[in-house]
Amino acid sequence: MFFEIAGPGTIRVTFDEVEVELLRQIPHELEAIYQGTDPDPARDRLFPRPYLDPTEEEAEEQWNALVIPELLRERLEGLAAVLQTLDGGTVVRTVSDLEQTEVTLGPEDLHLWLGVINDARLTLGSRLEITDDTNHREQWQLSPEDPETPARAAYLWLTTLQELLVETMLETLPD
Amino acid sequence: MTTAPLEVQEPDVDDVTVTDKPWIVVVWNDPVNLMSYVVYVFQKLFGYSREKATKLMLEVHHDGRSVVSDGPREKCEGDVARLHAHGLWATMEHPA
Repeated sequence: MFFEIAGPGTIRVTFDEVEVELLRQIPHELEAIYQGTDPDPARDRLFPRPYLDPTEEEAEEQWNALVIPELLRERLEGLAAVLQTLDGGTVVRTVSDLEQTEVTLGPEDLHLWLGVINDARLTLGSRLEITDDTNHREQWQLSPEDPETPARAAYLWLTTLQELLVETMLETLPD
Repeated sequence: MTTAPLEVQEPDVDDVTVTDKPWIVVVWNDPVNLMSYVVYVFQKLFGYSREKATKLMLEVHHDGRSVVSDGPREKCEGDVARLHAHGLWATMEHPA
């Protein structure tokens, strides 16, 4: 992955083929989690309960009936937007004949992309049971034998991408 | 045009206190969300300065939680919904 700033709140990112594959996989996996019906800590994290007070049962029922469908609709729009950006990307071939995809993300794209990438990281964080004590990447041994390595590698890569996109967005907001 | 004084009804102070007491929106610490992302969300959603957004983010990070907004129930529900849409772990409560 490499990038260049293309204007205020706008960034041009070039992804390798394997990175595009990962990005295309995310919307499918997130959609299954959003729509899932079995108990799932990842979904609980993405759609937290608004009230801690157990006597707010009625308000919580209203929330589930009115707010959750709206949050779900927005999230599905974000997934569609990421796939759409990738579909609209420019495919280029490197001198070593590797395929890369170049996309330009403006503020509106960045907003939608950040939501999806953050959901993907929250989901991976939940699956990998990441805590404040285990969230130091230098402690992570990415050994090929460890079945968690692909998920950890994806998490680290998404973290780098998210940092980049957030920095681009912060440039557009007042100091 | 009349100059007759309007009859003013004294508000019941106790009632006003109960109905007007603001709800608060709390954001909780989370091991995954990036510090820079949390600052971005606070600035974008609430229009806070970089300084104020950073202060609130650090409160979440160090104290485990921070009150990021307050107001009537409906307004707080809207804030919580926007925070959830951005993947932040937020709840609302009515301080006793």
